[in-house]
Amino acid sequence: MTALQDTLRDSRQPTRKTARTSARTRRSNLGYFLGFGAPGLLFYACFVFAPLVLSLGYSFTNADAFLPHTKFTGLHNYVKLLGDPDFRTSLRVTTILTLIIVIVPNVAGLAVAVLLNRNGRLYRALRTVFFVPVVLSSVVVSVVWQAMLTDGGLLDTVLGSMGVKHPPGWLSDPSIALYSVGWIASWQLLGFCTVVYLAGLQGVPDDLLEAAAIDGAGRWTRFRRVTWPMLAPALTINTVMLLITGFKTYDYVQVITHGGPGTGTTATVAYGVIQTGFTENKTGMASAMAVLMLIIVAVVSSVVLRLLQRREVEL
Amino acid sequence: MTPRSGVDAADARAPWVRPLVALVVTAVFAVPLYLVVVNVFKPGEHITGSPASVPWPPTLDNLKAALDRPDNLYWDGLLNSAEITTVSIVVLAVLSAMLGHYLCRTRSRFARATLLVLLAGLMIPPQVILVPVVRILRLTHLMTTLTGMVAFNVGYYIPFGVFVFAGFIRSIPIELEEAASLDGAGRWRTFWTVVFPLLRPATASVLIFLGVWIWNDFLDPLIILGPVGGTTVTVGVYRALGEHQSNYGQLFGLMFLAALPVVVFYFLLQKHFVKGLTGGAVKG
Repeated sequence: MTALQDTLRDSRQPTRKTARTSARTRRSNLGYFLGFGAPGLLFYACFVFAPLVLSLGYSFTNADAFLPHTKFTGLHNYVKLLGDPDFRTSLRVTTILTLIIVIVPNVAGLAVAVLLNRNGRLYRALRTVFFVPVVLSSVVVSVVWQAMLTDGGLLDTVLGSMGVKHPPGWLSDPSIALYSVGWIASWQLLGFCTVVYLAGLQGVPDDLLEAAAIDGAGRWTRFRRVTWPMLAPALTINTVMLLITGFKTYDYVQVITHGGPGTGTTATVAYGVIQTGFTENKTGMASAMAVLMLIIVAVVSSVVLRLLQRREVEL
Repeated sequence: MTPRSGVDAADARAPWVRPLVALVVTAVFAVPLYLVVVNVFKPGEHITGSPASVPWPPTLDNLKAALDRPDNLYWDGLLNSAEITTVSIVVLAVLSAMLGHYLCRTRSRFARATLLVLLAGLMIPPQVILVPVVRILRLTHLMTTLTGMVAFNVGYYIPFGVFVFAGFIRSIPIELEEAASLDGAGRWRTFWTVVFPLLRPATASVLIFLGVWIWNDFLDPLIILGPVGGTTVTVGVYRALGEHQSNYGQLFGLMFLAALPVVVFYFLLQKHFVKGLTGGAVKG
């Protein structure tokens, strides 16, 4: 599409240009850049691009708010990080959390989309409910779930009335808290996936499903062979969105667990970067963590995107 | 959205199964939402005692307490949130539409490379850049100011704006702009009178999504506005959390009031939310 437009535009370009008009064109192009491109780019350069370069720069130094002199230390921060058990724990925590966040809302969101893929006021109302958490702030979601999952909270009260005497510490048991955080994030992100899958489901032609039914395909076969392949673009969007969101999980940890219970059982890399950079003021070390985080996000999400898009094409 | 009307064989055999399952699943999913709504209208001591009970008789004490806090946490936060969100999204819509136009209509290697660098910004987590951002804001004396917060928002969210606008701008035939410029309209006038009005759906998406994101943003205002420069409603809920042991009711009131504008906004503009989200899903 774009390529086509480009070629069309090429053929329209005048073949002969006088020196005067090309000078005027150049001046007008500069005006176009300064008027249209530059203002937006300036903000991006100041608050994203320059900080990114600075982060990379800091990561090779021992920059620290409590040290008077900043020295170039090469790869020291990176070497130290990779051998640091706390950082390795945070990598493990982030990986588990990201896996939960990529899988649970994707699967549950699809199930809900299939369930609600019908006309009528009832289904429209129910679809609305599922999207509400998406527009809520994660701080609000965190506070509500904390009230539910805290020791002796609502869930324990309900379980107690059903005869469960010693419910697990959903947020206080170091071996469970991480899964609770994953659950909370999944609850908030589910509605996003549902809406995207519903749009995909509507793109599945009815006659294709009917033809499959006439050929004797059962419900499951129809879903597996007809519907599911056609949901490939929706799967790509959801997976990549969830992946990027999962990697930077911070809000739930900051509001609910502060990285605990115990030491670092829910401390994600994103949480570690903020702790190291703003609480411990170790700018250099925080920057090295940030750079590693960005590399992981960039590599993993572009590989996943590539794989999923190849799958779409093979359809 | 109009889901399929054709009824499955199984739906025809037992027509009550699907609505029943749908209702039960939604009810379970909505328990946390129900809890917020009922506990806002319940006296504080009942919240911990019987959190799931229906608030009867309802009380407005929690809302009043949240509104009348001596530190004015809610009203200050509301004002800051409203200002930051409104200014940020208006500036973002204007600048990203223009930047998107520039990058789509310029056929130079520079423009192409810039578009790539810009779109890469879509996946940069804020944590990766916040440490240097704070240094830059200190240097320019914008740290802990609303202006600084808005400036950061514009820089950080402009990739999303350009991403949305670029798709739309490409679908507008360039002949339209050429015709306008033949009629003597300059670039500026052509853009604002011919192109921008055609971008209305993209503008709506940008305003809606960025509005919700910026309103709900937690980490960026927490760091950039800091403890002295005031707070937003979202960060306000977090700040009130520290004292919740003594006053659960007020916390729920505050939370309800903080979320209310976005939720009302969502109910009013539901169709646009869905359209904005699914434009990409359908196109692939």
